[in-house]
Amino acid sequence: MSEPIKRLRRPALWTAGAVLLLALPFYLDRFWLQAGLFAMAAAIGAIGLNLLTGATGQLSMGHAFFLAVGAYGYCVLAGDSTATLTGLNLPSWLAAVLAVALAGVAGGLFSPIAGRLQGAYLGIATLALIFIGQHVLFNAHDLTGGFNGRDVPPLSLFGVTFDESELLVAAVPFGSAEKLWYVALLALAGCALFARGVLRGRPGRAMNAIRDHRIAAGVMGVPVARYRAGVFVLSSMYAGLAGVLLALVFQRTVPEYFGMILSLEYLAMIVIGGLGSVAGAVVGAVFVSLLPQLLTRYSDALPLVSAPGTGGVAPGEASRYLYGAAVVAVVLFLPGGLVRPALRRKTTTPGE
Amino acid sequence: MPTRTQVTRTTAATLAALLALTAAGCSSKAKDSGKDGDKPSAGGIKTGQGVTDKTIKLGVLTDMTGVYASLGKSVTQAQQLYAKQINADGGICGRKVELVVRDHGYDPQKAVSGYTELSPQVLGFAQFIGSPFVAAVKQRVDGQDKGLVIPQAWSASLLGSPYIRVIGNTYDVETINAVDFLMKEKGLKKGDKLGHVYFEGDYGENALAGAKYAAGEAGLTVVEQKIKPTDNDMTAQVASLKKAGVKGVVISAGPRQAASFVGVAAAVKLQAPIIGNNSAFSPQLLATQAGPALTKNYYVASPTQPIGTDSPAAKKLVADYRAAYPSDALDNGVVAGWTAASVFGEALKKACAAKDLTREGVDKALLTIDAYDSGFGTTHDFTDPKAPSSRQTVVLRPDKKATGGMKVVREAEVSQAAESFTVGG
Repeated sequence: MSEPIKRLRRPALWTAGAVLLLALPFYLDRFWLQAGLFAMAAAIGAIGLNLLTGATGQLSMGHAFFLAVGAYGYCVLAGDSTATLTGLNLPSWLAAVLAVALAGVAGGLFSPIAGRLQGAYLGIATLALIFIGQHVLFNAHDLTGGFNGRDVPPLSLFGVTFDESELLVAAVPFGSAEKLWYVALLALAGCALFARGVLRGRPGRAMNAIRDHRIAAGVMGVPVARYRAGVFVLSSMYAGLAGVLLALVFQRTVPEYFGMILSLEYLAMIVIGGLGSVAGAVVGAVFVSLLPQLLTRYSDALPLVSAPGTGGVAPGEASRYLYGAAVVAVVLFLPGGLVRPALRRKTTTPGE
Repeated sequence: MPTRTQVTRTTAATLAALLALTAAGCSSKAKDSGKDGDKPSAGGIKTGQGVTDKTIKLGVLTDMTGVYASLGKSVTQAQQLYAKQINADGGICGRKVELVVRDHGYDPQKAVSGYTELSPQVLGFAQFIGSPFVAAVKQRVDGQDKGLVIPQAWSASLLGSPYIRVIGNTYDVETINAVDFLMKEKGLKKGDKLGHVYFEGDYGENALAGAKYAAGEAGLTVVEQKIKPTDNDMTAQVASLKKAGVKGVVISAGPRQAASFVGVAAAVKLQAPIIGNNSAFSPQLLATQAGPALTKNYYVASPTQPIGTDSPAAKKLVADYRAAYPSDALDNGVVAGWTAASVFGEALKKACAAKDLTREGVDKALLTIDAYDSGFGTTHDFTDPKAPSSRQTVVLRPDKKATGGMKVVREAEVSQAAESFTVGG
């Protein structure tokens, strides 16, 4: 293929994609925007986990814990103090930044463990975080609101409040979902570019070296423990930002959500999408968060699925079967994840 | 291999997308002045979201695959039965009632998405399982949607909204009445110790607030035992309550915990009477080893009479439900679902009479219902959004021979303490 055309083609595709994403809030209804927002938040979290698990080979089951730190951190920092709840009432943009930092600090506190353990051992150790987190979320009433969670204060940025108040843009009423769409898009773009930079630079090569051969990496002068701890902190911060975004979309944080299932879903995202790459994390996140919603929504039109309450397979059950089958199919037939077939064609080496 | 035409095509697509963006004014979402808003339709009746000339759409957000699957199934089937019967009678306002069911499997993300999907297309929600999720969308219900939502949860934290209306006594009121039953009829007296086994979370904690209030009024001491929904063996709880010397026990947990507690208590000869909240029993328990102990020393406080009540309404419901769903168990979820649907139906009929089938019209109509009797022993008053629709509690006991496994031991009654209690305060 001739070089100038190839050079022209990529930016053109990127621009088309970007314009499409920017235009969506003008057309889609709230259900789809919300689904998209969940997917974008998940994508940010998945990029973080992919840095840790995919690129550095460190298994973490505790991702949901750091999401919770971000989500609840934002609520506590930005929320009002009431009779039953503590809140610091900070400006919401500052609260969002601090919540991400807080998730990083939580990751940092765990880093003495994260730096020393590897593989499945780290997985088990991080599992403990989930259980501790759930216990705290249910019982620290004045911080978390207990079982019923607490309201999420709307984000306020440059004089725009991202709440339900309607803002007319080109005659289209913008509610919270439409406005948050752009925040999420911006955050996702920033996070993706940063992660790409990390992965393509020296740190990325060091991380891959640690994953592939820890001792060899050490011999070559990579400070293994420090890198492991550092990437753990970075991944926690990504999770924290995903948590803040999720909280803003939900408009209420509920402890039930931040359980082990959520951690497993994030692992499924990076496995399905492709381990170790930013694109893989994004594709996996979109797939995993949209599939159940699509199946539930279009359950009426799918074969073998009956309306709930009439007997037969309920849409909820059917979506689980299909979801499980999809995971198995991807692992069996696309071991490199959904983004890998495209990559493989380009990088086929004579030895393969 | 990309050719020049392909590149041109991509560029063209980009341009088209750009044009589309500038033409966003033509989006279907754009606001045409005067197009929105409630419009009068057939028969001079004002209608809004979820209502056409032919149908009234009601949302049902249920759990058929998660932790409350058995409750969700009974409630939803009872509501579908109600819709079928009312449609066979010609519907409401000449319109057929249609239920749009979404199963969220007790997953917060799916529940919130389900609400977002359904809320623009339905008049209101006849069922919403999971009080944390109801709380999650409360802002939107109160702020902009303003459609009637009937949660299948009885926590006092749900009260206060004019649009989210709890049907029947809340857990705190129910527990106060349960303690009153123990004192009046089971020999619990001033100065005694009362054991309370409760779930972590709003169900148990709401019940605990009631137990503490009742104990304060009656001069009892509460001995607390907090458990998790995953704790199934109650041996430790029985032992420590026995050691504390309790003279009565309230259980605010699930059916399994109640069965374990009652069974173990009988084995170690803890003689205190035991009463549970309405969620702490299911008829399937009677076939287990704990069955004999349950029929001997266990009571259940409930907002309504059981499904097996000897009343025409109950008998008809049992017969119809059996005919429609022959293989499914009859439990109190059927009564709860039926009651919720019939309350919604009643509000719709009133709204129809006032020629206003908009969300606002239905909300207003519900506020005028002050003595509704669904045929299960309690009357409901919906005029005050801050209070539960009823403070009456029926006390039941398990009975193998009764339909649905329960019979009434004390008819609907409000104790003095429950009358004076400020709910959620």
